[in-house]
Amino acid sequence: MRRVATLTRALLAAAALALATLAGAQDVTAAPSVQIGSRAFDISRNLRCPVCTSESVADSSAEIAQQMRSLIQEKIDEGLSDAQIYAFFQARYGDWILLDPPKRGVHLLVWLLPVLVGATAIVVVVGMTRRWLAAAAKAEPANPADLERVRAALADAAANPDQRDTGDATGEDG
Amino acid sequence: MKLRRIALIAVVVAAIGALFAFGLLRGNPDDRNITSNLIGKPAPTFALPLYERYWPDYGETFSLQAHVGRPLVINFWASWCLPCYEEAPVLQQAWQTYGPQGVQFVGIQTQDRDKRDEGRTFIARFNLGFPNVLDNDSLVGVDWALYGVPETFFVDASGKVVAKHIGPVTAAVLDQQLGALLR
Repeated sequence: MRRVATLTRALLAAAALALATLAGAQDVTAAPSVQIGSRAFDISRNLRCPVCTSESVADSSAEIAQQMRSLIQEKIDEGLSDAQIYAFFQARYGDWILLDPPKRGVHLLVWLLPVLVGATAIVVVVGMTRRWLAAAAKAEPANPADLERVRAALADAAANPDQRDTGDATGEDG
Repeated sequence: MKLRRIALIAVVVAAIGALFAFGLLRGNPDDRNITSNLIGKPAPTFALPLYERYWPDYGETFSLQAHVGRPLVINFWASWCLPCYEEAPVLQQAWQTYGPQGVQFVGIQTQDRDKRDEGRTFIARFNLGFPNVLDNDSLVGVDWALYGVPETFFVDASGKVVAKHIGPVTAAVLDQQLGALLR
């Protein structure tokens, strides 16, 4: 009986191993891996996958994206600079292929507007802070009559500590 | 002072509103119907292996360079692409009409790695008489700035790309483009 149980366990383990191996093998055939370096990966992250919707060449598993990744690696191996590789794809697909808009023409707005908005915000905040500080510095001196009344009230309170009006301060002594 | 502040806020709100309206009205940024960068430029050349049935007429390799000098129709397709099945008989019909007039058609199976058997089945199914090649690594597709399949390019006799059609090509498009090229 024990031998049957051991045999069953061994068979189950072998089946699990076979399944795991099969699953691994299927992964490999389903997505032929393209070994690319980090530079190629960075470039492919800035290129739009032509057949996808809002996906970069780096993110897509589409066949053309895989080919573009290996093409980028080839171009790097040939000694091309990043700019030359971007220019290669731009010459074919136009600016559309770039996920980062080029820093020229109307695209410049995309780069300049955030800087302009940030700078404007800083100017506004600094201006308002200065205005508030100036207003605080220019605070009108207290009326001497009012000051005298406050002093008298304080002196009175100090002289008669037991007669403090606690009507509005319930639990103050508790 | 208060009026100035209201005017300033109104300007800022109007500017943001204008930007928002521009974003809404400019259409889908992923719209693939973008004019090809290749239009007006020399057709990227290629030499790709032909399917066996075309060897007697064209040899084992189809080189685009060898066919410059006559109007060309370059059609990209894949065996998994349903619209390609829709346009294949249209292309075959047009080949029978315009081939004798000097137009060279070529079909390029792309984004279809190692799918030779599927390619042969596709070609046999529509009995495609014009040469068909396999772009196994899809690099010719990148050279031609392909967005997807099917796409069809028209090249004039000087070797310049004159038009591109995205999606299944129709008889009307072929007649219009080839009529202009043969004029």
